[in-house]
Amino acid sequence: MKTFFQIIFILFFSLNALAQQSLLEKANEHYTSQEYDQAIEAYNEILNGNLESAEVYFNLGNAYFKSGQITQAIINYERAKLLAPNDEDIQFNLELANQHVVDAIDPLPKVFFVRWWNNIANQFSTDGWAKISISSFILVLILAGLFLFTRTIAIKRLSFWLGIFIIGISIFSYNFAARQKNRMKSHNFAIITQPSVTVKSSPSESGTDLFLIHEGLKVEIKDSLGNWREVRIADGNQGWLPVSYIEKI
Amino acid sequence: MIKKLIVTLLLLIPAFLADADSVKFTMSGPNVVSVGEQFRLSFTLNERGTDLQLPDISNFDVLMGPSTSQSSSVQIINGQTTQSVSFSYIFILRAKEEGKFTIRPASIKVDGKVYESNELSIQVVKGQKPQSSTNSQQQQSSTTASGSIDKDDLFVKVDLDKRNVYKGEQIIATVKIYVAPDVPITNFDDVKLPSYAGFWTQEIDIPNQISFEREVYNNKIYQVGVLKKTILFPQQTGKITIDPFEITCLVRQRIRQQRSFFDDFFDNYRNIQAKVVSSPVSINVKNRPSEPASFTGGVGNLKFSASLDKAQLKSNEAATLKITISGSGNLRLIDAPKVEFPADFEVYDPKTSENLNTSNGGLTGSKTFEYLFIPRFAGEYSIPPVKFASFNPASQNFEYAQSKEFTLQVEKGNDDQNTTVTSAYSKEDVRFIGKDIRFIKQGQYKLKPKESSFFGSLAFYLLYLGAALLFTVIALVYRKKLKENSNMQLVRNKKANKVARKHLKVAAGHLKNNNDEAFYESVLKAFWGYLSDKLSIPLADMNRQNASESLEKRQVSPEVITDFIHIVDTCEYARYAPSAVESTKAELYDKAAGLMGKLEKQIR
Repeated sequence: MKTFFQIIFILFFSLNALAQQSLLEKANEHYTSQEYDQAIEAYNEILNGNLESAEVYFNLGNAYFKSGQITQAIINYERAKLLAPNDEDIQFNLELANQHVVDAIDPLPKVFFVRWWNNIANQFSTDGWAKISISSFILVLILAGLFLFTRTIAIKRLSFWLGIFIIGISIFSYNFAARQKNRMKSHNFAIITQPSVTVKSSPSESGTDLFLIHEGLKVEIKDSLGNWREVRIADGNQGWLPVSYIEKI
Repeated sequence: MIKKLIVTLLLLIPAFLADADSVKFTMSGPNVVSVGEQFRLSFTLNERGTDLQLPDISNFDVLMGPSTSQSSSVQIINGQTTQSVSFSYIFILRAKEEGKFTIRPASIKVDGKVYESNELSIQVVKGQKPQSSTNSQQQQSSTTASGSIDKDDLFVKVDLDKRNVYKGEQIIATVKIYVAPDVPITNFDDVKLPSYAGFWTQEIDIPNQISFEREVYNNKIYQVGVLKKTILFPQQTGKITIDPFEITCLVRQRIRQQRSFFDDFFDNYRNIQAKVVSSPVSINVKNRPSEPASFTGGVGNLKFSASLDKAQLKSNEAATLKITISGSGNLRLIDAPKVEFPADFEVYDPKTSENLNTSNGGLTGSKTFEYLFIPRFAGEYSIPPVKFASFNPASQNFEYAQSKEFTLQVEKGNDDQNTTVTSAYSKEDVRFIGKDIRFIKQGQYKLKPKESSFFGSLAFYLLYLGAALLFTVIALVYRKKLKENSNMQLVRNKKANKVARKHLKVAAGHLKNNNDEAFYESVLKAFWGYLSDKLSIPLADMNRQNASESLEKRQVSPEVITDFIHIVDTCEYARYAPSAVESTKAELYDKAAGLMGKLEKQIR
């Protein structure tokens, strides 16, 4: 019974997707003829239909950028980047949009292997890693069969070591997939939407003013209390600010 | 003779002319006086003259005159002696009433010729201070006691010729000092000039020595001196206020503190410092109407011309396009007009030269831009007309000028530099003109429900499970089959000896019954069957060839193999030709039984 509902659900979405596809074309046309406000409206309509894709976020970001709303553009580029972490176009436009951000922050240096690890994890999206994990798992099974039933010693040896190596890949890519999925779901990054925000030392108006940040800056949400969020900026500084000043990616 | 005379006369003509020109008769006097004031009216002549005819000066009382004086000077420069004389006739007059009076020219006769002087107009104002010496002493004593100068007696003013201008239009600012005639100024000190913030400035040269002139201001006579003259070009719009001008004057005053015997003979003077500050002046600067593209900052009455130094030249030869802007206006602030040269000309930055003149009329002169360019390739080129727009504040409009279109005939130069030059230019980095975001992603792409991902979905785990299950099933089935196979082999292998012995036993029975044919057949069957089971070769495929090869592989000794071949040969031979067999059946049987034992031992 459950699977039946699931099928209905998926069917409904696929029909919906068909309708959205034409909406998408319309939005792209608006963008091409430089009617950015209409394009923004159309893209948002698609996203309100509970559908998403990195490309739609990217295009919406472009439309916002062209109509001068840099902060919204940054938010949407960041969303696109979550879905397609290795897309060069998204990276490029995000960098360009970030040049409009007032705050110049030197990110905390990371140890080289952490950087490499993150780079590898960002090579593919969640589903990319999931597919890699499954296909390498299947490959391992084939190699195991070869190992069990062959009589030639050389093939046996080769399939054994290759199998060990590939099962490692399978496990790692599973981990990466889980990690990407977590990043996508947890929404623990946000963009400042107010022109200028004073970050407090405690979650109340009476807290000491710690530092001043400006619109468009990306922050990491560490903790929350009522309407306050503890954020951390790239250089490692932390503080509290009202939730209304930020928009989650 | 006549010729000589004519030449002499001709040579003399300039001398006469010069002589005629050199007679100067001028009338001079103050332009402003007050009623009752005495003043000098003087006539100066640089020749001896007679019969001075005075104009009508009935509006003034002639107190004295004419007194004549004569001065002469002799100059010797490089051995040449020049002599100049001047005669002057001086009258002392006194004004009777207020008003503006014009004194008609006077005339005088020099060598029988009548010369007229210039006209002079004198303004007579109400006398504000009696000039009689007794009264003035009384007054001075009172001012001296306070030790200060009345504000009306000494002040500084910044005069502007215009108050309401366009951005870039020139204004002449004159800083003047006004001094009442009875205030003696000995020196200036500590001059603080206005900063003229918001303007681009150009100073007008004035003589270092300040010359005072009489002028009426607020119905009072002042000695007016020009301290500074500056041309201002406003660089911003709106109301601009010019900072005050400050100057400290040293004024000499007489001290009369205690009356002593000597006071009447020796005056005691002291210098007091008087700081005067002008009042700030403001100017209203209007913005120009929207500027055309060819506007390069020129404001004023400007003329534009352009010329090309040669119309025909060879490749790699330099030519110059000269643009001259002349007139009055902010010439210094004009940028080079844009000239669109053909793309493959090598164009250098324009050389700018200025020939400027600052005078009371403002900044005038000309500015020249020289564009040096080198055509690198032969051909016929044209330079489109150069456009120049300037703003004329007088007409409040932009004025447009443009040159003609220049055509250039470039011939191929003798020196074949073309290749070397182009090779230097052929490679260059891609030039970035602007920066923009990348274009949107077009085409078909999949839209997915939000936050859905293949990872973690049911299908994802099912795939893992399915693959594992499939693998297990395949492995199990394959393994079972393999096991069955190997079991059959083993059984046959183990039973082989038994079966063979059974066949041999049957053969032994046949031997007893003398059943030859059956005997041989049983022996053959025993061997072939045995080897088939032992070597895992189907019975149908068995022959001597592959049997001996298989045996060799299993390291059976060659004698055993030859024995085996021999028995098989004997048996087969005996079956078809029993008479030809020499050895007895009993012997063969023993041999066969022995061989069987050896084979059983040696086959592994």
